Amino acid sequence: MKDALESNNGKPVFAMSVTDMHKNKTGSWRYMRPIYDEKTPPCIKGCPAGERIPQYFALVKEKRYQDAWHLILEDNPLPGVCGRVCYHPCEGVCNRKDFDETIAIHNLERFVADQNVGNSFPQRFFAEKTGKKTAIIGSGPAGLSAAFQLARKGHAVTIYESLAEPGGMLQMGIPKYRLPREVLEKEINDIKSLGVEIITNTEIGKDKPWQELSDTFDSILVATGATKSRPMQIPGEDLEGVSSGLAFLREFNMQHKRDIKKKIVIIGGGNTAIDCARSAIRLGAYVTIIYRRSRHEMPAVPEEIAEAEAEGVKIIYLTNPIEFIGNGKLEKIKLVQMQLGQPDADGRRRPVPIKGSEFEIEADQVMLAIGEVPKLDFLPEGVHEKWGRVDVDAYQMSNNKGVFACGDSANGPIGTVVDAIATGKRAAIAIDSYLTNQETEFVHYGKVVGFNEINLDYFKKEKRVKQNRNNQKEVLSNFNEVHLGISESDALYEAERCFSCGICTYCDTCLIYCPDVAITKAPDGKGYIINYEFCKGCGLCVHECPRNAMTFEEELKWRIV
Amino acid sequence: MADSLIAEGLEKYFNPETTAEVKAIEGTHAASYAAKLARVKVVSAYPITPQTTIVEKLSEMCASGEMEAEFIKVESEHSAMACVIGAESTGTRSFTATSSQGLALMHEELHWATGARLPVVMANVNRALGAPWNIWADQTDSLAQRDTGWIQCYAESNQEVLDMIIQAYRLAEIVMLPVMVNMDAFFLSHTTEPVALPKQELVDQFLPEYNPKYKMDINDPHAFGGLAKPDTYMELRYNIQKSMEDAHRLIPEVADEFEKVIGRNHGGLIEEYQTKDAEYLIVTSGTITGTSRIVVDQLRAQGLKLGLLKIRFFRPFPVKEVQSVLGKIKKIAVIDRNLSFGRCGIFFSELQAALYNCECRPLLNGYVAGLGGRDVTPKTIEKIVNHLIASEKGEDLIWMELNI
Amino acid sequence: MSQMKFEIPEIELMKSGHVACPGCGASMAMRYALKALGPKTMVVIPACCWAIIDGPNPCSVNGVPVFHCAFETAAITATGIKAGLKRQGKDDISVLAWAGDGGTFDIGLQAISGAAERNEDIIYVCYDNEAYMNTGIQRSSATPWGAWTTTTPVKNPKERPKKDIVDILLAHHIPYVATASVAYPDDFIRKMQKAKSIRGMKFIHVLSPCPPGWKSQAEESVHISRLAVHSNVFPLYEVDDGYRYTISIQPKKVPVRDYLKYQGRFKHLSEEQIELIQQAADRKWDILMKKVEMGELFMQN
Repeated sequence: MKDALESNNGKPVFAMSVTDMHKNKTGSWRYMRPIYDEKTPPCIKGCPAGERIPQYFALVKEKRYQDAWHLILEDNPLPGVCGRVCYHPCEGVCNRKDFDETIAIHNLERFVADQNVGNSFPQRFFAEKTGKKTAIIGSGPAGLSAAFQLARKGHAVTIYESLAEPGGMLQMGIPKYRLPREVLEKEINDIKSLGVEIITNTEIGKDKPWQELSDTFDSILVATGATKSRPMQIPGEDLEGVSSGLAFLREFNMQHKRDIKKKIVIIGGGNTAIDCARSAIRLGAYVTIIYRRSRHEMPAVPEEIAEAEAEGVKIIYLTNPIEFIGNGKLEKIKLVQMQLGQPDADGRRRPVPIKGSEFEIEADQVMLAIGEVPKLDFLPEGVHEKWGRVDVDAYQMSNNKGVFACGDSANGPIGTVVDAIATGKRAAIAIDSYLTNQETEFVHYGKVVGFNEINLDYFKKEKRVKQNRNNQKEVLSNFNEVHLGISESDALYEAERCFSCGICTYCDTCLIYCPDVAITKAPDGKGYIINYEFCKGCGLCVHECPRNAMTFEEELKWRIV
Repeated sequence: MADSLIAEGLEKYFNPETTAEVKAIEGTHAASYAAKLARVKVVSAYPITPQTTIVEKLSEMCASGEMEAEFIKVESEHSAMACVIGAESTGTRSFTATSSQGLALMHEELHWATGARLPVVMANVNRALGAPWNIWADQTDSLAQRDTGWIQCYAESNQEVLDMIIQAYRLAEIVMLPVMVNMDAFFLSHTTEPVALPKQELVDQFLPEYNPKYKMDINDPHAFGGLAKPDTYMELRYNIQKSMEDAHRLIPEVADEFEKVIGRNHGGLIEEYQTKDAEYLIVTSGTITGTSRIVVDQLRAQGLKLGLLKIRFFRPFPVKEVQSVLGKIKKIAVIDRNLSFGRCGIFFSELQAALYNCECRPLLNGYVAGLGGRDVTPKTIEKIVNHLIASEKGEDLIWMELNI
Repeated sequence: MSQMKFEIPEIELMKSGHVACPGCGASMAMRYALKALGPKTMVVIPACCWAIIDGPNPCSVNGVPVFHCAFETAAITATGIKAGLKRQGKDDISVLAWAGDGGTFDIGLQAISGAAERNEDIIYVCYDNEAYMNTGIQRSSATPWGAWTTTTPVKNPKERPKKDIVDILLAHHIPYVATASVAYPDDFIRKMQKAKSIRGMKFIHVLSPCPPGWKSQAEESVHISRLAVHSNVFPLYEVDDGYRYTISIQPKKVPVRDYLKYQGRFKHLSEEQIELIQQAADRKWDILMKKVEMGELFMQN
């Protein structure tokens, strides 16, 4: 007799499972479809160079510092420089600021660069030569950025620098207590390792005619920056003791000239003014900054202003000089108090003098730091200029075919290192397409993730890291670097703190909550695969994603496709 | 053992070769010893008079280590049955016992045991159902479980209780259906009789270790009892019916096998007594059978061609068997210690239905007697026989000794 | 670490293709439970949503043995299975009774009480969706005060508070009782693993959101569960040896309104009624804190 439980024509004789439910394709229930859809975090859009911040943070979290460095380099060949001197607009838009404190992106960038001082560029940066040649005039951040990007595409690059050392404003303008020169040298040497040639002490138009460049090179990029100080155009500007702030910085930084007076007044509110003030105070002077608007409008980086004040710099706001007084030599400055009126074109309130508020202060040296303009007299005739800068189109090209411009010498975003790096990169992309006759492809950002799109249930409030710094008293006695960066543990902590808005961190939240076990890890461990045969479209994964890296879409849209 | 049996002159009743010990015990203890001999591994029960002594004895044996089993003292009969269902699902031989109200409470779980194809064996002490309270013999409790898919057997003696519980496991584990062994309250449950306890090794030889083809097993995981939709449920019921039909065929075979090993045979689905030339026949089940044997002997001595048919199995119902026996008889009296309100005695109606497709239809009278433990004496049975002889037309329901 | 992350076992014993509604908390709970217990597990499922979710015969979505049992018998069937396994020397297999609130709070209470009193070596999980959902949203004794169900219509919502099943189980002096949430899978899994390591009766009460029955959005199931924890409607805690209370997740004390507002079953409630629910939640938390203190006192002595 057969077993009573033996199957009958393949069917069990009693209620017993012989299979799972894989034939029940519950995906047919779905009318909404979850998809992995990475979006733009505000920091990436906020960074002019477009550094992929959450992505390199992810590498930092894995302690893959070299890979993180390589990723930053893609967009910016000067992370060591920017990690020290950038005014970090990325942090200003960071979503975390509305939760606890903005992420210390700036410090992390420096941390990554500092981890790689002993490393050189990866092999993949060394491209096959195209045979095309580009001349770049100026070795500042714009020129270096463009040279790096062009060299990575295989184009031969020669940079002409009028000064004795490359680096432009980074070399002549920025004090060493903010940017030690070995950091700059390291990054310039890295760029040179790609075959970029930098010819110093060569001013175009003086040491070498423009024509020679246009005969030799397939394209020319003007990246001379803004090095000419703007005059005040008030009486007494020709007195001895009235000079340009940038000239002081250049002479001190490059020629080590230390002979300055005791009572120094600096006119202006930008980073040059602060750099002059903090350098002068280190040389033993009493320093006063005169700025015509209030602190709120001051274009210098707020941290820098605070540092300057802490170091003893006096700042007089809402005040403007109207005359430099002296007998051949500067003795006094006549000032007038200002008040803020209607906003002007750039949105800042225009300062208006208050009648009868004039007063005088004593000074034996004045440094003008009210802005710099490019010196473009070397350009051939016919190159259009706009407000004293090369007039370029959306592709950084002037009306003269093959002549491009970027950084402060071109119209567009100006004034900061990272803007220069950004336009240099942009110019390089345009030049590459010009040289290779291919379509230009700039990065277009999609939807930017807003604070209200972050799932705050997944985050707890935590303090932002603080950068280490040298002793306050000691820093005033020398030009050693004030800030010392952050420790590895702080870097890891801070990278972990990042929301990673719109960028998947492989946190598994989607996978863990799927009631239908329809999400699996991708075989390479990078990302996930949704099994649409079973996904019922409940939307839990999308709803729970801490960082809005997923989107819920109408199923119909996919069915039609 | 053999020597002492012979010394006491008991060898004609008990086979000295197969008996380990003869004990004077009540029916409930016979059930307890049977469970022990069947090497039951899990016992679960809830006390109810007159089943309690089964449980007490088992507790004692489990506590002393005489019996190696888990004893789970549950909080209701419903749970007692659910517990053995759980244990059986893992392929572990299990036992429970109940009676009356307890059996009624188990009703849902009785169906579950069958549907899950679990060879549970249970002793039921036939006791009347309330209200009003009554703790004495009445078969309506088990017969009310007619359609639960349980194989039901009714014992006449304590020895039969013991032997049938052992045989029940053998049968249940072949056909994968549960078996209920019934005994009358007090007349069996609390009546002491000499019972031969067979040698353990012979029981082991008759009843192999239980190892079902499918069970709860982490190395071969299945879900048991999942939703069966209209497209599959009917076939699953058909399969149970087929197994019930297998049981019908196997019951006498198992009895024969038991006889070969242990040396006793209580019959198949029915037992015939003095039926060869009988013109009149009494049909009984349970303890009334024993009383009826005496009446048959007495009346036969007076020349009446009277026979006796004992129904041992109610499910599966011995349709073929009764057809072949009853077709030759003139008049038949069915005695029921049970009642289906609005109809008649339950054995009677089953029997009557079984004969409908028979060519020869004898006169059939249905007698209801002894409800709620009232005595059914030889006199009562004589009255029934006399009434039967005088009957000219069959009657479905005749109340015996009613005080109205 | 800034981001809440879950470390959970990779094993997936529950498979795709089950027939739970989209966003079903009960299906998430089973997935986590089996992840926690692993393949050496047998599951007992009485009448409840999971009797259907597991799949019609001859299918089963779970890769472990499953025994479907009658409505009121989860605890005792599991007991029987455990007894059988014990006798076969397979005592290391966890037996999981997996019942809904109806099968636990109502019809199954007798069996669970029996099993608890005997301290049976089983893990009993009640996935509580706060009504008879499988039959179409009828009130159970787990339905919270004020909730709509088909048998407590809006004109006459539930007038009695939810039964305190945890306290009932604790009254049986069992070694481990805990509450859990599908919003905190790591906590749930840890509790299941702990339960696995303890001999005797373990009871875990997991709140299980039911989008059709709660009239909530499928994608909100986890969010609602989290709000239940943080509004003290369903605090997460565990009780060892009957007196050592430990709070598992410190609630952020969000107003109950935030929890209620995502669920259509509470839509009809007035401000006053919501206030009453708030007071009940606050009281429940205060009492719980007293129990935590008492437990600490006992430990000191």
